[in-house]
Amino acid sequence: MTTAPLRPPLTRGGDRMIAGVCAGLARHLGWPVQMIRAGMVVAAFAGGAGVAFYAWLWIMVPTADESARRNARRPASPIAPAVSAPVQSPDAQGNTATAGEPWRFRLAGMPYGKEILLGVGLLLAAGILVARLLGLDVPLGTLIPVAAILGGAAIAWMQLDETRRTGIMDKAKANQAGGWARLAAGLALVVAGVLVMVSGSGSWQQTWLALLASVAVLGGVALVLLPWGLKFWRDLETEREGRVRATERAEIAAHLHDSVLQTLALIQRRAGNEQDVIRLARAQERELRGWLYRNAERDEGQLSDALQAAAAEVEDALGQPVDVVSVGDSAMTGRLEALVMAAREAMLNAARHGGGPVSVYLEATGGAAEIFVKDRGPGFDPAAIPADRLGVRESIIGRMRRHGGTAVIVSNPDGTEVRLSLPLAPDTATPPASPATPATPAQAPAPTPTPSSAATPPVPTRHTPAGTTTKDMP
Amino acid sequence: MTSQPDSPLPAGAPVPATRVVIVDDHAIFRSGLKADLDAGIAVVGEAATVEDAVRVIGEALPDVVLLDVHLPGGTGGGGRDVLAGCAALLGTTRFLALSVSDAAEDVVSVIRAGARGYVTKSISGAEISNAVRRVAGGDAVFSPRLAGFVLDAFGTSPADIADDELDRLSARELEVMRLIARGYSYKEVAKELFISIKTVETHVSAVLRKLQLSSRHELTRWAAERRLL
Repeated sequence: MTTAPLRPPLTRGGDRMIAGVCAGLARHLGWPVQMIRAGMVVAAFAGGAGVAFYAWLWIMVPTADESARRNARRPASPIAPAVSAPVQSPDAQGNTATAGEPWRFRLAGMPYGKEILLGVGLLLAAGILVARLLGLDVPLGTLIPVAAILGGAAIAWMQLDETRRTGIMDKAKANQAGGWARLAAGLALVVAGVLVMVSGSGSWQQTWLALLASVAVLGGVALVLLPWGLKFWRDLETEREGRVRATERAEIAAHLHDSVLQTLALIQRRAGNEQDVIRLARAQERELRGWLYRNAERDEGQLSDALQAAAAEVEDALGQPVDVVSVGDSAMTGRLEALVMAAREAMLNAARHGGGPVSVYLEATGGAAEIFVKDRGPGFDPAAIPADRLGVRESIIGRMRRHGGTAVIVSNPDGTEVRLSLPLAPDTATPPASPATPATPAQAPAPTPTPSSAATPPVPTRHTPAGTTTKDMP
Repeated sequence: MTSQPDSPLPAGAPVPATRVVIVDDHAIFRSGLKADLDAGIAVVGEAATVEDAVRVIGEALPDVVLLDVHLPGGTGGGGRDVLAGCAALLGTTRFLALSVSDAAEDVVSVIRAGARGYVTKSISGAEISNAVRRVAGGDAVFSPRLAGFVLDAFGTSPADIADDELDRLSARELEVMRLIARGYSYKEVAKELFISIKTVETHVSAVLRKLQLSSRHELTRWAAERRLL
């Protein structure tokens, strides 16, 4: 058996005329929507098969955003949240996008649709009248109630559909009254149609009596069934809540098992190696924090995320804690990528030579992104970096300059701080010659950039007291 | 879960030791912290739950309480409940929040309940001893992360004259907060801004007061975004 290419799930929505059934079917099957619609109309005349099929799909097939929500609620694999999340989210976003966009389109085109419906109805009525005039026996007594029932049901269902959707999209309930009116009108049409059909004649007297009787019966049944229904509903709610809790618990247990317990086992085996234990504990702490405090509504892939990831890399590579504090944020761009790369270089240097924790501070508010990397090492003289050392000169200062930012290195015996600054909008870039903080003592002289040097592996450029530079680079 | 008060100060010590109560539900952490604190600090009591903590603090009347943010007991508010239970002592006993949590919610809520500072549990014994002494002296202790939260919540543009005094940080306070967020010690901040350490402490205390008292719209909104309040 060959597996067919994966079809989009069967969901309603998109370019809808009534309930989006045809559009959803077309998307699912990959056929043109007009063809499906035409087929549906033709089938509708085949003894009403098309209508029945349409109604059945309407009831059974979820709307696009319902199914998106169901997908979203399914717990992401806790084992690899980073892997599974990006796979899942574009799908869900895509769904809601396709559902949300044409909905607005439909609202905009609504008057048009109404006129078409009205026209079709009038044409049908005219056709029936003409048929009667021509002597054909049209059973009006059954046709009118049936049409009323179908029309009423369609109106009521469309309204229910819409309330569910707006319930998801916004809780404003702006046109709630109108919605209720439409629902009531639809129900009334159905009831009237049923009554007329059952009572057989068109006589008002009989219809009125039947209506009274049926309302009385319905009221009685509702009175009896309402408490039971409410209880049933409440049971359902509690059961659902319990299930949600159980799912959450299972997710937490799975996550702890795959991360924390594994790390603890590793730590027990390597208890002799202090550096390894610290590194493991630190990496696990970072992972667990990320999992506990992640904000689901936040956009991923922001500048602060990239910086955190770079800090984590440095931490893992050198076993030195790197604390990142960020204020404000910005979407990643190619230029910010360069900023993060420069910051990574600075963090590597700080972790390698600083000794003790490295403090990183990101501020991305206003028109610029600034990153400060501070360590508490013995310091060095940036002016004394030999011209052939590429770590600081190229990877930090040169890189920032090429992207219209500045890099300033301040070093004293208490530690070193690398200050990186990059305007967020490229057109407001300051000329690279003027550093942001002119008072800083150690703006390195202009580098002689070689295009290939950006790829050069970082060279430690610290611990070189002025005058005693060691040249181990060709 | 209380230990008898240790003998508060070694005989002949010129400076009385700072008396401290440690409130944390992990016995291992309490004993580790006790061993890490330096000689000038005497641990006079320990507690593991909210109820214990309120009782022990009331009996020992320490200078400083090292308060974990997450504690069992009380109404579920952890450190906040302890602060509420000791409200009458806030003038004499200072609270320093101690947490493994990075959540803005946890940190800001204990600060707003009356703690004089916040440090993470991973800092060294010397740093924590320093922080205890600073809090005992009436100053505020801001970790880089707390400074970052403050900058995030109050915004990074300085106050206009028209603004409510509590709702924004002054330009100088912003500078101090930025430097602390960058990992500067108070001494380094003072050196960088050419002011005295005492002035730095004054600025930090002012920021702490604003953080505790401000009801500014943006702080509320910021907190709501992070699901506080």
